[in-house]
Amino acid sequence: MPEAAAKTDAADEDRCITGIDGLDRILNGGIPRGNTVLITGSCGTGKTTLSFEFLLHGAMNNENGLFISVTENWKKLLKNVIPYSFFDESLVKSKKLILIDLSSIYQKLGLEKEEFSMEDIDIIVKAVGDIVREWKIKRLVIDSITSICFQLKTKEKIRDFILSMGKNLSDAGCTSILVSEISPGEQSYSMYGVEEAIADGIVLMANLERRGDLLRTLQVVKMRGTMHSRAKYVLDLTPVGVLLVPLLKGGSVAGGV
Amino acid sequence: MSLTGEIAASLRDLPEASAIALVIKIDDYLDTMRAVLDAFIVEKELTAVYITSTIPSQSITNVLNILEIDLNRVKFVDCISHIMMGAAVQAEHTHFVESPTMLENIMLKVEFLMRSIPGKKLVLLDSINSLAIHNNTKILSEFLHIMVNNLRAKEAYTLILSVEEQSSDEITNMLGLVCDEMLVISESG
Repeated sequence: MPEAAAKTDAADEDRCITGIDGLDRILNGGIPRGNTVLITGSCGTGKTTLSFEFLLHGAMNNENGLFISVTENWKKLLKNVIPYSFFDESLVKSKKLILIDLSSIYQKLGLEKEEFSMEDIDIIVKAVGDIVREWKIKRLVIDSITSICFQLKTKEKIRDFILSMGKNLSDAGCTSILVSEISPGEQSYSMYGVEEAIADGIVLMANLERRGDLLRTLQVVKMRGTMHSRAKYVLDLTPVGVLLVPLLKGGSVAGGV
Repeated sequence: MSLTGEIAASLRDLPEASAIALVIKIDDYLDTMRAVLDAFIVEKELTAVYITSTIPSQSITNVLNILEIDLNRVKFVDCISHIMMGAAVQAEHTHFVESPTMLENIMLKVEFLMRSIPGKKLVLLDSINSLAIHNNTKILSEFLHIMVNNLRAKEAYTLILSVEEQSSDEITNMLGLVCDEMLVISESG
């Protein structure tokens, strides 16, 4: 094999190519494999759509994906997600793209309660790990981690949960996205302040108001294992996928754009 | 040579993926449109992505109908209808941007069309002068610089319309910076 081609293959092995052109460019080729990435932002910023597209591109390239929906029924989610021109329902039928409601996992495990103990956390992490291994999942999305953390109550439990989940998934060769909800104008990257410290990567999605216009923005704040841009980009959710362009700075004059 | 003939001749032999500034007089607007669309859509068989920040796309569509231009080969990015409160009529070939100040969203709509439409394309910006009403020169220069280079990389032609009577030294300098060529068309007057 020519050296250049071998190098490219090795790079593909190391990187989980999101399939979202602009994001892969920002990340210098994709998310380092096995990373647990926090996609964080307030409502309406495109977190779910971006995460879903990440899984979709994986499934189209023979990397099985698992979407664990915590806040809404996955069938409703499929209806509401952008009608991608490249979406193929057979990916769901053939189980290349698996969508599960977390409530059904809780039900199976007999964990329908308001607060989880450390033992419950271990059971949930193991159950998700088992699904990942059974279905050879390479990409996973949990939407949202904030809703799960709500039932963990303490920072110690949240920390333990994300660490064990991240390790379990990484050991299985799975690249994961944890969707995190924050309030508009929030200064930290997560609701409980713990999630951001543990994750390998943080992608911040926000609404930026400029002279009365509201722009959807994306910024990679942190990503272990790769050089990346930390600039802010403007995005659009379109039938051909998430598109990104640089945020114009207008001479970088504060308030002058 | 007639005005349309002069424009057509100037555009015919342009190198691939050129960025051209077309400086016209306001009275020559319609003739210029006809010549540009004839040269790129009819002769070169390209699809045009028409960014309008001057006149609502619906009005341009009406004119193109009169000129018998094939509307299937023209897609609009309309960033003026919305701010005219009520002029934005949903149409198959039109993508609306809420305001001409949302320059990033204009780039995103162009990017979407670049990906959705097969074959080679012309991106026509009508006009730099109307965009300059809503944006300062710094952000407008940045916008043109990024968009033109992006289109060049995608092997698309870029044509930026500038109306002489509405122009300024700043706009001329800006166009000189990003365009490969500046064609000054002058018949009226």
